[in-house]
Amino acid sequence: MIDFIDYLLGGVSSGAIIALMALALVLVWRSTRVVNFAQLGQAMFTTYVALTVRDLTGSWVLGLLVAMVAGLVVGVIVHFLVIRPVKRLDTSGAIIATFGVLIALEALAAMVWGGDPEAFPPPIDNAGFELFGRIWPFSPYDLLVLFSVVILVLALSVVFTRTNVGLAMRASAFNPEVARLSGVRVNRMLVLGWAIAGLVGAVAGVLVAPLSTLSPTSFDIFLVFAFTAAVIGGLDSLVGAVAFGIGTGLVIALVSGYSDSSNAPLVALALLILNLLFKPEGVFSHHKARAV
Amino acid sequence: MLKIEGLSVSYGAVEALKDVSLDAPPGRVTAVIGANGAGKSTLMRTLAGLEKPKSGRIVFNDQDITGGKPEDIVRQGIALVPEGRSTIPDLTVEENLKLGGMWRTHAQRGTSLTRVYGLFPVLGERRHLGADTLSGGERQQLAIGRALMTGPQTLLLDEPSLGLAPLIVTQILELVSQMARDSGLAVLLVEQNAATALRVAKTGIVLNLGEIVRAGRPMRSHKTRSCDMHTSATDPLEAQRGIAP
Repeated sequence: MIDFIDYLLGGVSSGAIIALMALALVLVWRSTRVVNFAQLGQAMFTTYVALTVRDLTGSWVLGLLVAMVAGLVVGVIVHFLVIRPVKRLDTSGAIIATFGVLIALEALAAMVWGGDPEAFPPPIDNAGFELFGRIWPFSPYDLLVLFSVVILVLALSVVFTRTNVGLAMRASAFNPEVARLSGVRVNRMLVLGWAIAGLVGAVAGVLVAPLSTLSPTSFDIFLVFAFTAAVIGGLDSLVGAVAFGIGTGLVIALVSGYSDSSNAPLVALALLILNLLFKPEGVFSHHKARAV
Repeated sequence: MLKIEGLSVSYGAVEALKDVSLDAPPGRVTAVIGANGAGKSTLMRTLAGLEKPKSGRIVFNDQDITGGKPEDIVRQGIALVPEGRSTIPDLTVEENLKLGGMWRTHAQRGTSLTRVYGLFPVLGERRHLGADTLSGGERQQLAIGRALMTGPQTLLLDEPSLGLAPLIVTQILELVSQMARDSGLAVLLVEQNAATALRVAKTGIVLNLGEIVRAGRPMRSHKTRSCDMHTSATDPLEAQRGIAP
């Protein structure tokens, strides 16, 4: 039983980070109906930026802030440079193109920062709290991760539900034609969707790096987890992405704890297949059915 | 005022509209009548900027707006209520309304919102409910309300009667013609049902296969309301049947 609690506790912060990654995928899907497989490549790139800034200035916070801005910028660049021209011809082409962006970003990062894994030290202690005479697998850094994710998700939900821009973005996602007829500049909302997704992904990258190491391909595995969470959540539901992101993190922690961490991606894929077999539209989806 | 001059629209090789000219003067309802596939919706969608015309001009307040984007045209003062009660079911009633006219000032939008709730009290009662909880008639009111939120000078109504009970259609059309009279709104009303449209329209055109086959004023006799689009007096339904394939 104590093992079970340990495993769950150990999965909370990675679950929260997967929730952010899934959120980024959902934001892009909602705005352009494209699954951005380069999302974590963008996050890897901005995390390298954060590491560079941190090494130069010694400030983790500054690194995070610069990474967030870089995330916005990279999101906008990818949208204008790749997605918009390709999507004009073919939507599935745009999805394939995101793979191209992923490979290009990984190659570029390897050229700039080298291919060897680098340590990204946490800004605060990552050793577990000691309580009731034992050490729990939950550290001050896990607390910082949770805090950051909660703040970001709350900020996003305020933007989406309480502001005009948020309403315009939601309307553009649900029904672009009605949005345009109402006077919303839908194309700008799409760009904004990519920008915010880039920012959210950047935060996820900086938060997850200290939990493992940073290399051009070290985030690839998280794409599997985030994609699983986003799809099960319904791919267009922000709430679904957060809920199943955390859920996926916990399942991975349990699987890794009771068997071996190398089984985690297999379990994620199994969950994905079960979801597509029995509830292909996703759990929180706004749409009744989705062609698979 | 909205003036349409020799408008032609094609979908590939298919000509959906051929050389259509029409004015929509302020303060009254102008009808566009025609059977299924006559090009009525194409006309409306082109005026709103959703389709690009092949030739011809759309002039609004002496400004050429041909080929403009929908989000720009609505800012000029032309609002379309598309066919099929185009509300967004995932948003609340009030969110659907607030979507209209975001570029306007806070005060303007507040005034419009109060006005829409005055016109359609049921929307005010259900402002915080999801638009998917509304009935067909209420959703049509919401769709019109959203268009009014943009502060239009010209309102394009694409078959508001579709799938609604006759009593509700009457209510909605009376309200629309009253708005036209009171606030100088120009209304372009598309209808398949000529009798419905001519209850409120002063003038209009009949479209068939993308072309204007009749134009002018309907004549009303004291016995029955009948229309004469510059031809011999016929029952409005006859007029429609006459042009239907």
